[in-house]
Amino acid sequence: MHIAVCIKQILDPEISPRAFKIDPVRKAADPGTASLVIGPFDLNALEVAIQLKERHGGQVTALTLGSDKAKEALRRALAMGADQAVLIDETQVSAKEPSVTARVLAAAIRKLDPVDLVLTGRQSGEWDFGQVGALLAEELGMPFVPFVPRLDVAGNGLRLEREADGGVVVVEAPRPCVASVTNANDNVPRLPKVKDIMMANRKPITVYGPGELGLGAAEVGDEANRLEVLDLFIPEVKSECEFIEGEDGAEKGANLARKLVERKVI
Amino acid sequence: MNIVVIGWGGDGHAPSAAVRELLGGARRLAQQSGGQVIGAALGGAAKAATGMIEYGADRVLIVDHPALAELDAEAYAAAAHVVCDQAGDALVLVPGDRLGWEVAPRLAHRLAAGLVTDCLAVDWEGGRFVMTKPVYGGKAMAKLAARTATQVALVRARAMEPLEPQTGRAGDVEALNVNLSPGRVKLLERKQEETQGQVRLEDAPVVVSGGRGLGGPEPFRMLEEIAQLVGGAVGASLAAVDAGWISPQHQVGQTGKSVAPDLYIAVGISGASQHVAGMSNSKTIVAINKDPEAPIFRVAHIGVVGDYKEVLPAFVAELRKIKGA
Amino acid sequence: MHETPTREIFWNIRHIWLTYALLVPMVVAFALGVWNHVRRWRAGKPIERTDNWQERLRGFFVDAVGQDQLRSGDQQAGLFHILLSWGFVILFIGTTVVFIQADLRIPIMHGWFYLIFQSLILDVFGLGAIVGLAVALYRRYVAKVPRLTHGLWQDGFLLASMLIILITGFLVEGLRIVATSDPWGSWSPVGLATGRALAALGIREYGTQLAVHRFLWWFHMLVSYVFVGYIPFSKMMHLFTSPASIFTRNLQPKGRLEPLDVENTEVLGVKTLRDFDWKDLLDLDACTECGRCQAVCPAYAVGKPLNPKMLILDMRRQLTEEIGGVPWAKRELEPRPIIGTSIEPETLWSCTTCHACVTACPVEIEHVAKIVDLRRFQVMEEAELPETAQAAVQGIEDRGHPFRGAQASRRDWYADLPYVRELAQVGQAEYLFWVGCAVAFNERAQKIARAMAKIMHTAHLDFAVLGDEETCTGDPARRIGNEYLYEMMARQNIETLNNYGVKKIVTTCPHCFNTIKNEYPDFGGNYKVIHHSQLIRDLLAEGRLPLEPGKLQELEKVTYHDPCYLGRYNDEYDAPRAVVDALGVERVEMARSRQKGFCCGAGGGRYWMDDEPGKRINVERAREVATSGAQAVCTACPFCMLMMEDGLRTVATEQGTTERPVATRDLAELVAEALAEAAGAREGEAGAALGA
Repeated sequence: MHIAVCIKQILDPEISPRAFKIDPVRKAADPGTASLVIGPFDLNALEVAIQLKERHGGQVTALTLGSDKAKEALRRALAMGADQAVLIDETQVSAKEPSVTARVLAAAIRKLDPVDLVLTGRQSGEWDFGQVGALLAEELGMPFVPFVPRLDVAGNGLRLEREADGGVVVVEAPRPCVASVTNANDNVPRLPKVKDIMMANRKPITVYGPGELGLGAAEVGDEANRLEVLDLFIPEVKSECEFIEGEDGAEKGANLARKLVERKVI
Repeated sequence: MNIVVIGWGGDGHAPSAAVRELLGGARRLAQQSGGQVIGAALGGAAKAATGMIEYGADRVLIVDHPALAELDAEAYAAAAHVVCDQAGDALVLVPGDRLGWEVAPRLAHRLAAGLVTDCLAVDWEGGRFVMTKPVYGGKAMAKLAARTATQVALVRARAMEPLEPQTGRAGDVEALNVNLSPGRVKLLERKQEETQGQVRLEDAPVVVSGGRGLGGPEPFRMLEEIAQLVGGAVGASLAAVDAGWISPQHQVGQTGKSVAPDLYIAVGISGASQHVAGMSNSKTIVAINKDPEAPIFRVAHIGVVGDYKEVLPAFVAELRKIKGA
Repeated sequence: MHETPTREIFWNIRHIWLTYALLVPMVVAFALGVWNHVRRWRAGKPIERTDNWQERLRGFFVDAVGQDQLRSGDQQAGLFHILLSWGFVILFIGTTVVFIQADLRIPIMHGWFYLIFQSLILDVFGLGAIVGLAVALYRRYVAKVPRLTHGLWQDGFLLASMLIILITGFLVEGLRIVATSDPWGSWSPVGLATGRALAALGIREYGTQLAVHRFLWWFHMLVSYVFVGYIPFSKMMHLFTSPASIFTRNLQPKGRLEPLDVENTEVLGVKTLRDFDWKDLLDLDACTECGRCQAVCPAYAVGKPLNPKMLILDMRRQLTEEIGGVPWAKRELEPRPIIGTSIEPETLWSCTTCHACVTACPVEIEHVAKIVDLRRFQVMEEAELPETAQAAVQGIEDRGHPFRGAQASRRDWYADLPYVRELAQVGQAEYLFWVGCAVAFNERAQKIARAMAKIMHTAHLDFAVLGDEETCTGDPARRIGNEYLYEMMARQNIETLNNYGVKKIVTTCPHCFNTIKNEYPDFGGNYKVIHHSQLIRDLLAEGRLPLEPGKLQELEKVTYHDPCYLGRYNDEYDAPRAVVDALGVERVEMARSRQKGFCCGAGGGRYWMDDEPGKRINVERAREVATSGAQAVCTACPFCMLMMEDGLRTVATEQGTTERPVATRDLAELVAEALAEAAGAREGEAGAALGA
C-alpha cells in the first residue's frame, strides 16, 4: 500500500491577531517572526496515513510544494513516520490559487511509484480554499471522498467515514482514490519521538523542479492562475460588549435571561 | 453576464434555504451586472423549479436522474456542468454545504473556471465580480476576482439574503435530458444522524456552545437543555472537541462549522480567532466566562463574567419563568 | 570498697566460646546482606559523587550524625530517632569496650571510665532508647501518624526486637547487680532499679537469680545477633544506606537538572532500573519509609496517584524482583520498563516538581530528578505524554512559547510604555528584563511586567527587553521531559543573550530565574540572574523607590505565597518578605510557608495539564489563603499568581461568599501600586488597580 500525503507549510495559524500583519505589496501575510508549521488538517492526514501503514504495512510519501524552508515540514513528516519526502521547488512556480497547486502535485504524484491513496488536509489553514483534494481527483481521474476523519482498507478498496450533509456516513471507494482528512479524536497528530526527529534530519529529500515534472510556464506560470487577489485586509473588530451586572453568578444569569427577552432575541 | 444558481435539496416545492439565499443574491447582482439568473434544479430540487422562479430565477434548467438520488458529488458535478454549458460565460453560485465543497472544485475544474470558496460576499465592482472570503483563520479578509470568463463562487450559508417570493412570477422552466453515470464512491451506511431530532447546527437560530472552561463532558447536557428550551443546537470549540467531550460534528470555527445564528451563546470559550471565525457573523453574541480578560468579550455583544455553574441554572430558571408567564 | 571500680566480665556465664561460634553466622549473614546491597547499586550507571569530600563530610556530620534535617521537620519524630539511634550507638560502643577488655586484653573497664561511661552513660542512653522506642510505637499504633502507612508489620517486628534487646539488657544488668551486691551498682541506676524491682517481684533466691540471669543473658545475646544479622535484609539497613546517601548527596544547585547528551546516548532518559545511576539505586535502599515526602507532597494531598514514598518503595520492590533481595538469589530477571511495571504513567505526570519531597527527605533521596528521568524516556523515546502537555511542548517547538491559543504577542504589554525599549534598538543596557512567556502572553500576568517596568523606570535603572527575540527558556519542556527541545531553546537564548553581551538579567518568573541561573551555565550561558523580589528589596534599601504610606490601606493583612522555584529551589524566602514588610501592610504567614510552602500546582508542566475537579492543588492552597485572614495573597511568580487567582475564585464559589474574594497580586504590582504619585506620574495606570 502506497499512500501519498500532500502537505503545506503555512504561517502558524495560532499567531496572535495582534501580531498578524499584512504585506500590502505581496497581498499576503507578513510572516514577521512567526513560525511556519504544517497545516493542521495536513497533520491529521499524515496521522491517518501513518496509522494505516502501521495496520497494513506499505509506505507513506509526503509531498509539498514550497520553498527550501518547506523541507522542515517534510522533516517533521518523516519524523512522524513518513518513508519518503518530495519537495517541489516553488521558485519556478506561481501558485496563487489551488488549481496550479493541484496541477503540480498531480504531476509529482504521477512520477512516484503507483499510489493506492492520496490524502490531503480538508483545507490549508491559511487561505483555506479547500479545493486541492477535489482538484487532485479531477487531475488524476480518481474518485474523491472529502471530510474523512477515519478510513481503513476493505477488500480491494477502502472503507471511509465521511462527514456529509445530514450526518456521518460510511462509503466505499476503489483504490486508488483521493480523500481529504478532517480532524477527529483518533487522528490527533502524534508527537514524534526524539530518535525519529534525529533520524529524519539525516534522511534525503527528493527535490523536483517543474521542468522535471513536465510543466511549463503555461501550466505553472503567473498566467496559469485563475484568480487574482485584489485586496487583503484585517477586518475591524469593534468591541461593544455590554456586561451584565449582578451580585453573583446566579443574579447575572437571571438578568441575562431578562436582557435577551427584552432585546427580543429569544 | 448570466448568473447560475446551483440548486439541490429543498423541501418539496420550496427551494432550500441555501438556494433561496443564492437566488436573492443573484437577483441583486444581476441588476448590476446585467444578464439572466439561471437556476439549476438538480435531483430532488426538480420539484422546486417553479419555486426557484418565484424566488428570483429568470429561467430554470432541470436535471433529474436516478444517479442524483444520493448526494453523489461526481453525478452532481456532471449535472451542474451540463447546465453551465447551456448558460455560457457566467458566474456560478454554489451552496456552501458539504456537497457544495465537493461539487464546486470538480465543476470549476471542468469549466476551467476560477473558484472562490467560503464567500461571505459577492459584489459587482468595476465591471467584475469580487468575492470576499475570510483567510488566515479569520484574521484577514481577501477580495478576489477571477481571470476566467466563467467563474464559480461557493457561498457560505446566510451570507446572502433571500427575496420575498413573488407568486406567479414568469420564467422558463426546461428539463434537460442528460445521461449521467453514478460516481465511483458508494454509500454503505448512514452512521450517525447529525441532528437527532434537533435543529441542524448550521440552520439553528440559536447556538449554545461550550469550550474548555466547561471542564468536562457532563456540562454539555446543561447546554443541550438550553438549546432544547429555545429551539437551538449545541456547538463546541476545538478545545472541547480535542478533549473528547463532544463529537467533532459540533465544532464551530474556521476548522469546524461556520454558523451565523440570531443568537450565539459561548460558554467557557476563550475566543481564539479560529473559533471566532466560525461564529462572528452571528446577530447577537453572548459570552459567559469567568475570566474577564477572555478575548471572547471583544466580539461579544453581551458579556457575563462569572462561573457558568452559577449563571446557567439561574438563566434557565428565569427563562422558564418568563416563557411560562 | 577501695578496689578500683569495675565488674567481672562474663560473670555467671560459661561456654563463652559459644558466643564466638555464633558470631560467625551472624557476621556471614551481615556481610552477605551488605554485599547484596552493593550488588544492587552496581547495576546503576556511574556518576561522580565523592568529589568535594570536605563538604560531603560536613553534611554527613550535620545530617547523619547530628540528624539536623530529620529533627527540624518533625520534633516528635526527631526526638524518638535521636534517642533510639544514639542509644544504640552508645550501647554498641559499650559492647565494644567489653570486647576490647576481654579479647584484646586491654584493661579499660576500670575506675572513672567504668563508672561514668560504662555504667552511668550506658544506662541513661539505654533508658533513652527505650523512651524513643515507646514514642515510635505510640506514633505507629496509637496515634497512627498518617505518613507512617507502609510496612507496619515489619516496623513492629523491628521495634519489638529492639525493645526486647534493651529490656533483657537491663534485666541482666539488674540481676547481676543484686546477685553480686555490686558496690558500684548505684552508678547503673536503671539496672539497679530493675534488679530491685525483680527482687521485689520475688526473684530473691541467689540460685534463682543466677539461673534467670544466665538464661536472659543468652537470650539477650541471641536476639542481638539475629537482629544484627537481619539488618541488611530489613529497612534497618538505613543505618548504613542513609548516611551513605547523605554523604553522596547532590551538591549541585538544587534547581539544576543533569543535562543529557541527546545525540550520543543510547537510551534517552530512564527506561529500566539499570538506566539510573548508582546513587539513584542507593536512594531506593536508603529510604527509611518515614513518609515525610508523602506528608508534604501536594499531589498526594489532593488525591492524585503520586505518593513519593511509594514511588521509591515500588521501584525498590522492582529492584528486588530483578536483582534479588538476598545474595543467593540466582534469578536475574530481564530488566523491565519501570513505567507500567511498578509505576503508572498517571503517577509520573502528577508531579509538580515542587521539590517538597526532596527538601523533606532526611536522607537526601532525589525524587524529582528520578521523575524527570522517567519522563524523559516517556517523552523522547515513547512519545507518551498527556495530550495537553504535548500541545505545550509542541507550542514551544513551533512558536517559542507553550501557550496554545495565546492572543497577545510578546510586545503587546509595553506597546504604550515608551520607556520600555528593546535591546535591538538600544544595543545594550545594564539590566536585561527577561519577561517570560507567562507574563508576556497572559493578559492578567502582563500587569506584572507593566508594574515591574514602572518600578525600574522609577528607580532610573537602565534596562531593556528582548521583545520578539525572547523565546521560552525551555523550562517547561525540560520538566516535562523533552531534553532535546530544552537544549535547543537554551542554546538559542544563550546565543541571543551572548550576542548582546548581556551581563545582568532580572526576571519576575522564578522558573526562568532558576533555569537561566542554574542550568544555562551548562550550555555556556553565565549571567548574574536576579529575581525581581531581590532587585526591589535592594532598590527599597537604597531608597530609590519612594513609597507613599497608606496607598495600600485597604489591605490590612497580606499573606505571601512562596513559589517553589524561588524558595525551595533557590533558598530565597526573605527578599519578598522584606518587600511586603516595607509596604506598610501586616504580613501574616500561612501554616505552610518557606521551606514547607505548598505548591500552587503549576510546576513541572502541570500548568498545561488537565486537573480533575476536586483534585486541584491550587484550590487546596487557595483554601489555606482564604483562612489566613489576609485580604490579598502576594505572589512572586506569574504561574502562582494565575493559579491562586483561579483557585480563590473556585473557593469563593464553593463558599458562596458575598464578600469580595481574596485578591491575588504579584509583589511588583503591590510595589507599583504603593509608589508615590510623583514618582510614576507619567505612566498612569501602570500598576494594577486594586479596587477594580
